[in-house]
Amino acid sequence: MAKRYDTVVIGGGPAGMAAAIEAKRCGAKVLLIERENQLGGILNQCIHNGFGLHYFKEELTGPEYAQRFIKLINWHQLDYYTNTFVTKINDNSIELISPLGAEKIYTKTIVLATGARERTAGAIGLHGTRPAGVYTAGQVQKMINYDGKLPCKHPIILGSGDVGLIMARRLSLEGAKVQMVLELANKPGGLMRNIQQCLNDFNIPLYTSTTVKEVVGTDKIEGIYAISVDDKMQEIPNTLKYYPCDALILSVGLIPETDVLPELELHPRTGGAIVNEYRETSIPNIFSCGNALHVHDLVDNVSKEAELTGRFAALKAKNQLAYGKQYNIICGNGISYTMPSTYFATPGNLEILFRVNNKFIRHNIVAKVKDKVIAKKFVLCAISGTMQSISFDKGNLKGDITISMEAEDGK
Amino acid sequence: MFDIAIIGGGVVGANILCFCARRGVRAVLIEKNNDVATGASKANSGIIHAGFDAKPGTLKAKLNVSGNKIMEKLCSELDLPYQKIGALVVGNDLGKLNELKERGDVNGVHDIEIIKKNRLQELEPNLNGDYKYALYAKNSGIVSPYMLTIALCEEAILNGATVYRNFETKAIEKNSRNFKIISAQNTVLTAKYVVNCAGAGYNEVARKLKSEIYPLTFRRGEYYLLDSSEYGIVNHTIFPLPTPESKGILITPTIDGNVLVGPTSEISDQIPVTTSEGMNKIKSNITTMIPKINLRKSIRVFSGIRTISGDDFIIENSQKVKNLINIAGICSPGLSSAPAIANMVLEMTGFDKLPVKKFKKRKNIVSIKGKSTEELNALIKKDPDYGKIVCKCELVSLAEIKQALTSPLAAYSVDGVKRRVRAGMGRCQGGFCLLKVIETIAKTHKEPIISIPKENLGSEILISEIRPKKVVKNGKKI
Repeated sequence: MAKRYDTVVIGGGPAGMAAAIEAKRCGAKVLLIERENQLGGILNQCIHNGFGLHYFKEELTGPEYAQRFIKLINWHQLDYYTNTFVTKINDNSIELISPLGAEKIYTKTIVLATGARERTAGAIGLHGTRPAGVYTAGQVQKMINYDGKLPCKHPIILGSGDVGLIMARRLSLEGAKVQMVLELANKPGGLMRNIQQCLNDFNIPLYTSTTVKEVVGTDKIEGIYAISVDDKMQEIPNTLKYYPCDALILSVGLIPETDVLPELELHPRTGGAIVNEYRETSIPNIFSCGNALHVHDLVDNVSKEAELTGRFAALKAKNQLAYGKQYNIICGNGISYTMPSTYFATPGNLEILFRVNNKFIRHNIVAKVKDKVIAKKFVLCAISGTMQSISFDKGNLKGDITISMEAEDGK
Repeated sequence: MFDIAIIGGGVVGANILCFCARRGVRAVLIEKNNDVATGASKANSGIIHAGFDAKPGTLKAKLNVSGNKIMEKLCSELDLPYQKIGALVVGNDLGKLNELKERGDVNGVHDIEIIKKNRLQELEPNLNGDYKYALYAKNSGIVSPYMLTIALCEEAILNGATVYRNFETKAIEKNSRNFKIISAQNTVLTAKYVVNCAGAGYNEVARKLKSEIYPLTFRRGEYYLLDSSEYGIVNHTIFPLPTPESKGILITPTIDGNVLVGPTSEISDQIPVTTSEGMNKIKSNITTMIPKINLRKSIRVFSGIRTISGDDFIIENSQKVKNLINIAGICSPGLSSAPAIANMVLEMTGFDKLPVKKFKKRKNIVSIKGKSTEELNALIKKDPDYGKIVCKCELVSLAEIKQALTSPLAAYSVDGVKRRVRAGMGRCQGGFCLLKVIETIAKTHKEPIISIPKENLGSEILISEIRPKKVVKNGKKI
């Protein structure tokens, strides 16, 4: 007898767990699928603290944060499969494989919470040789935190994304001498607190506007040639410099992972699915949330967004999701992208998450329909590394909303 | 005591080994690296050329055309995929294309014709519409060059041949009858015939043999490997008009469902680096040819070194050392010619007179990719590890990885596993599966996890235990 569910959530990380729990709370029959042997996703290798400050109002490690949700999953007696991989998504079913066998499961709605993958040496066109010793930050995090093994003693880190910064600290704590962090852009990519706590506190130099020109070493990496770049990211001649190292660790960005559904229409900015206000993708009944939708910097935001998505997926499964007329949310001054990028003219609250494309000090986030301001929020400092949000009641709102960064009046 | 010792585990050496084993010749192959196919045989275009390119009368022309004719059957005997997708040389210089076709006719290439724009657009809708003509060679094919090398060795091993890896040749002695090859670890092999097909290392081996040294040069070819999402952008191997140095920067689907763009052709040393200059050259060339191409979909850039000796291959009996065969300068079309080179070696040694015995066939590792639910369940019932996905990008199960580690020519490295079953070959490039692969290698070979290399010995990935487990023996911590 084929198994039938209202909502199947793919991915047992923070997004998938939160979405599944909320869908279950809304009365849906839910199945959660995880490819590893335990729930928690990438949180399980993030043994540093700083998780949950917003969501739980306390500071937790990654595994602790995950455990809170695992407890809820058990409390709700939610069905979940581990060691299970979804091979195909069809119209109203999914196909999966596990050591127990291959199976087809029928479902009304699906939530894609498959996380993100790291950009690799091949994706950034890293030149020189291809020896052992070039890894992504996440790989190194897993080596150290999962397996208790060290891959290097004198690494150089390329990219100042959060994972890279956290690994600079982690490697230092385990006795490695992190020589430097190189960043192609003219400003660091990660959260400000991580620059302070992971680099400055350990006297690790950060060189911005610098990148790796060439990797040297045949079997094992021996060093790199670094080169400075100008504001247009063009290499500046005569700035080539050689640094010996025993590893080059890449923290050069995350890409939403949507492989399981190649048909999905993707957003050019986020790399995740294009979704409506309910986080429903271009394919009806398929929803997406977490890093599979767009890359977050705080897991707290992931949980919140995933709960919303889980609720919508459950309502859709019961035919209770009301679609109104759809309007656009437009990126105005200083906005890189918004999530969602459209909304429905239906009653209720609307929270818009977005990233800015520059550094803004003492600015207002302004939401307007035509020239009418419908919401305004002051921020002391906004950078692209930190996700911003603005939230308001939709009331009887109609028309396209523009979000922009505006300088404080008269300043 | 061996009848023949083959020095160099590239596709040429592997092919000689396999064809010797099929005739019951006692053959041994020695390779200095941790795996076969780690030089030019792993980093090339993977194309079985039709044979219109080489100058008539050369070994290249003769061996390419006959190699092409053998390859499809050879691959099926080896249980390897081979696709005869055809090749197009595109251009507007009809005179040059006709010249190529005539050359092909003289070389004995079948099924080549000049086609015009309409037909060309039908075959390749994404091709730049400015091209008016193409030479269409239907017999051009694609293979996995490293899997071909591995499979040839495996079949040979199943039929009694021996493969030594990590065999660094220290000295070679010759008495009136036999060669004595001594490794750095003091393994001693004796053989009646020796073939030096050490590729880029030919002269190094020749010095030990006190045989002919050839003036070899090296050309570096850089490539982009594109994501499987780009598969289908072209249907054939597409070349520009050739230059005296190379066949030009081509684009081709690969046998494994990616798209390959390259190679450049720069005089270089023996280190296979990629450069931004090389990549920019590919970029500007290929965007002219296929304007729609998206090189941001690159999942890997790599480079290979071609060894060149003048205009033709060198395959000859040594004049200095009896019973030694020198094979050097096997650049393109070396892969296409490999089976024909092996046949030539059989003739030179007289082993061709021996009948082909009934030989054991190798089986490719069964992949779960593209299998139906019923087929998957049958596999998982037999081995639950088939249901444990390790590499999610290429859909590779634990069972397949374990088989790569226990097959006749077992892998001992992460890249060895990658070449055999494609774990880590996809778009995340081992981001998720690297550690699982290392753990599986360590467990299967009963080696400490910190000794597992990426490729050669000395390329170990993990260097130390952070908190080594205290072993308690007789109540004492040691």
